[in-house]
Amino acid sequence: MKKSLIVLLMLALAVSMVFANAAAETGAGKKTVLNVMSFTDEVPKMIERYFELHPEEAAKYEVNTTIIATTDGLYQPALDEALAQGGAGAPDIYCAEAAFILKYSQGDASQYAATYKSLGIDVDKLIKEADIAQYTIDIGSRNGELVGLGYQATGGAFIYNRSVAKDAFGSDDPAVVAEKIGAGTQSWDKFFEAAAELRKKGYAIVSGDGDIWHAIENSSDKGWIVNGKLYIDPKREAFLDLSKKLKDNDYHNDTQDWQEGWYADMKEAGAKKVLGFYGPAWLINYVMAGNSGDTYGDWGVCASNVGFFWGGTWVLANKDTTKKDIVAKIITWITLDYSETGLQYFWANGTLNGEGGTKDTVASGTVMAKSDGKLDFLNNQNMFEAFVPANKYANGKNLTQYDETINTYWRDQVRQYTAGAKTREQAIADFKTQVKENLDVIVE
Amino acid sequence: MKKNGSFSYARYGYLFSIPFIVAYIIFHLYPILYTLIIGFTDLKGLGKTSFTFLANPLQNFKEILSSELFRTALKNTVVIWITNFIPQIVFALLFTAWFTSPRCKLRGQGFFKVVFYMPNIMTAATIAVLFQALFSYPTSPVNDLLMKLGIISSPFNFQVSKLSAKLVVAFIQFWMWYGYTMIILISGVLGINPEIFEAAEIDGCSSSQTFFRITLPCLKTIILYVLITALIGGLTMYDIPRMYLNGGPDSSTLTLNVFIYNQAFSGSYMYNRAAAASVLVFLLIGICSVFVFRMYRDKDQKKTDRVRRHLAAGKEAVNE
Amino acid sequence: MSKSITRVKRVGKPFVVLMYAVCIFFAIMSLFPFVVMIINSTRNTYQVQQSALSFIPSTHLLENLKILTSKDIFHPLLGFLNSLIISSGTTLCAVYFSTLTAYAIVAYQWKLRNAFFTMILAVMMIPAQVTSIGFYQMIYRVHMTNNFLPLILPAIASPSMVFFMRQYMIPSLPMEIIESARVDGCREFRIFNQIVIPMVKPAMATQGIFCFVASWNQLFLPQILLTRKNKYTMPIMVSLLKGDIYKTEYGAVYLGLALTVLPLFVVYFVLSKYIIAGVALGGVKG
Repeated sequence: MKKSLIVLLMLALAVSMVFANAAAETGAGKKTVLNVMSFTDEVPKMIERYFELHPEEAAKYEVNTTIIATTDGLYQPALDEALAQGGAGAPDIYCAEAAFILKYSQGDASQYAATYKSLGIDVDKLIKEADIAQYTIDIGSRNGELVGLGYQATGGAFIYNRSVAKDAFGSDDPAVVAEKIGAGTQSWDKFFEAAAELRKKGYAIVSGDGDIWHAIENSSDKGWIVNGKLYIDPKREAFLDLSKKLKDNDYHNDTQDWQEGWYADMKEAGAKKVLGFYGPAWLINYVMAGNSGDTYGDWGVCASNVGFFWGGTWVLANKDTTKKDIVAKIITWITLDYSETGLQYFWANGTLNGEGGTKDTVASGTVMAKSDGKLDFLNNQNMFEAFVPANKYANGKNLTQYDETINTYWRDQVRQYTAGAKTREQAIADFKTQVKENLDVIVE
Repeated sequence: MKKNGSFSYARYGYLFSIPFIVAYIIFHLYPILYTLIIGFTDLKGLGKTSFTFLANPLQNFKEILSSELFRTALKNTVVIWITNFIPQIVFALLFTAWFTSPRCKLRGQGFFKVVFYMPNIMTAATIAVLFQALFSYPTSPVNDLLMKLGIISSPFNFQVSKLSAKLVVAFIQFWMWYGYTMIILISGVLGINPEIFEAAEIDGCSSSQTFFRITLPCLKTIILYVLITALIGGLTMYDIPRMYLNGGPDSSTLTLNVFIYNQAFSGSYMYNRAAAASVLVFLLIGICSVFVFRMYRDKDQKKTDRVRRHLAAGKEAVNE
Repeated sequence: MSKSITRVKRVGKPFVVLMYAVCIFFAIMSLFPFVVMIINSTRNTYQVQQSALSFIPSTHLLENLKILTSKDIFHPLLGFLNSLIISSGTTLCAVYFSTLTAYAIVAYQWKLRNAFFTMILAVMMIPAQVTSIGFYQMIYRVHMTNNFLPLILPAIASPSMVFFMRQYMIPSLPMEIIESARVDGCREFRIFNQIVIPMVKPAMATQGIFCFVASWNQLFLPQILLTRKNKYTMPIMVSLLKGDIYKTEYGAVYLGLALTVLPLFVVYFVLSKYIIAGVALGGVKG
């Protein structure tokens, strides 16, 4: 029995080595390999579509994709490792999310990014013609040179449940709801008045404190690090109090974003029915639509009281790539092509893989102007009406390369404070400790 | 064994040991020394491999020792370990007593052993994620179960409360290891000379007297082995806290190894501090092990002397 | 020797009932998470959201499998192969070379023998995590990250296995046979491979099983050395299941978890007797 086990083991080892070898060999066929690294399958699928639309290129190239989700902070170490090692296995095209893009465009890892100009892309001309949103350029530039661009425009608005609005405010018209939450005021005062009103009728205004956090985070004047030191912008510090206010007055369902309870509120399955969610267009199409259950079609979108942007993916190229040609073509197609055959047009109209796909707001103003943002999720409202103006509030100047990590610490401490587990001072002190001891940031 | 004539086979002793020694030097000794050295430098940052020694050589060590997070990690590691180990050893001994007692022939022992040991074989990472799903909020198997049994009336958020997070991690460790500890203890009992038990029976010892006065003392070396390996395993706990809640909430399940990983890989790549922390943990393990050994050496002598006396007396009684 | 007097006091009935109750409770406790995991793998997301706890399997297994593999993120087969390569390599290296080293300590008289063995004892207690930062830097400098060799070769030096094999060999090594083989003109290395190894096979097999399982379940070192997804081992794959992408696919997540431990279940149920016997052996000798 034991002998056969050993034999079996060796056989298995031999077989798997053959397989592994074979798997590695297929890369060395007659096609050139293009390495792509991302944290979702969005960009890889775009590249796939590009090759479908350009079969003459498809014949020459083979795409090797690596997708590692950002959970548990696994994506960045993997990407960093791949970039630092270099060589044939390094990614030619890689993606970074808003939470950490700065590290790759301006920070510690920006040395690996190629400028779009060096790839042969006529940046200045295309940016002007495509009318690309300024904030995505700001974020993606290193010393004034563009190294990365986002394909989405993720300005945020307020997405609300029409039935709840009708019952609480008497109308579900976007203008009315916008007025109720104080659109254009850049403050939360009217928001809380509306919250009280909703509470009286047994509704929650938002699902959890995460919903107002993104608006607060990106509307702050300065980022987390100023002159190399940790800085807590007063607007972000106010989140402690605003979150507590929400909790103490029972204005929300105390859910945590990206957890089950938060999703449940999208289909009115939570403790109280929720008025709405703050978010950009992708929140609607990639999160809410699939989780809205029976409430699908009963939503609307209006301007937010505090302008912000949330999320977005930037596409970068490796400065040591040996396939500059195709990389330039793909990146241009994704981020700067404003024609009707460019990615942005497909993305905005949901026609990337045929009709009826999910729509989104894109970075090119030119494309937005000629696209149709009507969604049946929103009872046929044109979402661009709310999202395009929202983009002008997007501030690309208050990000840092450690945002992903620092935000996690901050949210953790705020949660402890609102749950009553520690005092406000203690929460701030503990937050500072976390940043000081895990990151190379000076904390006073 | 004697040499064959004038031909010495001694050189084969050296020869056959060479692979071990070479591999050890390259893969274990060198990294240990390297870790030690890095602890005295400023090596940090993405992609860096060159470093300079710090002007103040003990700077990293001082920073780590005075670091609040390190102290929290130390405290958590110890607390979680004790919460896990005490029930573990108690129940392992309990089951050992039951399964090896000649007075209660428990049926299905084989089945119970297989089932109790099973959690130990499973990948800790899988178990951590599984438990995360089991204890999630608001709907989760555990919450459903507790509500069905009427123990709680509305779902409890196990993952936001610091105390429950610690308890769950301690429970998972307990759940994974009590079967293993039990089997080792049982095998230890089976290795005890049956004559000792017979002598005890003749003297009319009750089962609990037998267990506490004879079985336990004879198991001293085994318990020492269990204690030391549990200690090392506990102080280096990584898989479960990292995959369950990644040290959260609010660092309540942050253990020493998760802390080290964060220093090295959570954004600033501070290898020097991670290395210093590793060395400190190593020293801690060393000190604890020596302490446990010392404690045992003294007790061990007294107990075995007592057992020997008892046995000798019993034999005399029989021989008369 | 033993008298066959029925003086053994039997335990009272109520106590026996209590014992069974406790044992059964613990058995359920040990099995509960796995049962839930398997059953929920067959239910789809909606069912799990309705009632997370159920003992009745449903029919959505294939559906969940499709969701799991459709996103091009979780590749159980790849993780399985990678884990298999690493674990097999590690086990073969560890078992063979530990036996060789133990034989060197037991069968030959050489000056540094005792010192060597003491060193092995001392070194047995150094946990791997302590060397990891230096190890990582070393491997990084020679550009061997994302390579399986740094995970396999160190197993050649496995102090605890050497210790165990030595304990096993001391009473069971047949020196007369070895002597006569020498007289017949056999070379030492051949003696080791053809005579000694077959003799200690049971110990090698048991230690082999443990080494394999421990290597299969290893997370820390592989996680820092293997950052490319196509090199991920099973435990690292597990972390991918926590990603946003699978956040709402509850059934698929349970299925993914089940797949990562499926090989272990199979190995365990086939070999449980040997495994448990091996633990026992390890405990007594260790």
